[in-house]
Amino acid sequence: MDMLLMGLCFTFIGLAFTAMAFAAATRPEAQRPEEQPEQVVLKPAPARFFSEHLTAPAPGPAPIQIPIEALLLQIENHVRLEQAAAESFVACPTHAQLHSKTTSQFVN
Amino acid sequence: MLHKLLSGLSPTEEDEVLALGAHLTLPSGGSLFRLGDAADRLFLIERGRIRLSFPMLVRGQQEDVLFEEQGSGETVGWSAMVPPYRFTLSATAPLETELIALPREALTAFCEREPEIGRRISLNLAILVGQRLQLVQAMWMREIQRAVELRSQHATAAR
Repeated sequence: MDMLLMGLCFTFIGLAFTAMAFAAATRPEAQRPEEQPEQVVLKPAPARFFSEHLTAPAPGPAPIQIPIEALLLQIENHVRLEQAAAESFVACPTHAQLHSKTTSQFVN
Repeated sequence: MLHKLLSGLSPTEEDEVLALGAHLTLPSGGSLFRLGDAADRLFLIERGRIRLSFPMLVRGQQEDVLFEEQGSGETVGWSAMVPPYRFTLSATAPLETELIALPREALTAFCEREPEIGRRISLNLAILVGQRLQLVQAMWMREIQRAVELRSQHATAAR
């Protein structure tokens, strides 16, 4: 008899837990109408055609960083060469003069 | 000394204009003006050299980079005659240099009194500014052309 009563008790307790779990699972939809269900917004994927290839650094040895004094000298030399080329163009304006190649280390 | 700004004037007229200015001697490394300074005088180089430079950020630090050098007979600082009367480059003397500083107000007042001399000086100034414009235009076109070629090379390499 005791065993039967214990079994009944466990059965009721189990049913009570099941009912509570069911109520908890269904409550948000029934009792909180202000909360909207989360909507999944499908954003267009960013255009990435070959973008990784373009932004990735080119393979190969890292560029050698020359001292800043040498770099400034290169810039100065470049300006002088460009000025001379521009003067030649102004003296005799032709396409060839305008687009003549420079020997400047700064851009070669 | 033949000053390009005074080209076409008689020796007497030239002396009259030069008398408006003040002689100035810059020691080697001395600064004549800085970019952004108020420009109220233009300078005729009597002897020596003036280095015109502009500031450039090189590896995060500001450096004065050469734009051009001018020698005897040349005029620097013509921003003094062009609104808004601010220098757009910096000028220093790489070696001891003598100049004549002509104040704008004195020069313009003189040119109003002597319109024929004023016309001649204005014409010389226009030539000076025009030549600088042509030079800078050509340099700019060459840089753009180089940028276009560089871009084309990158596009070809990416294919």
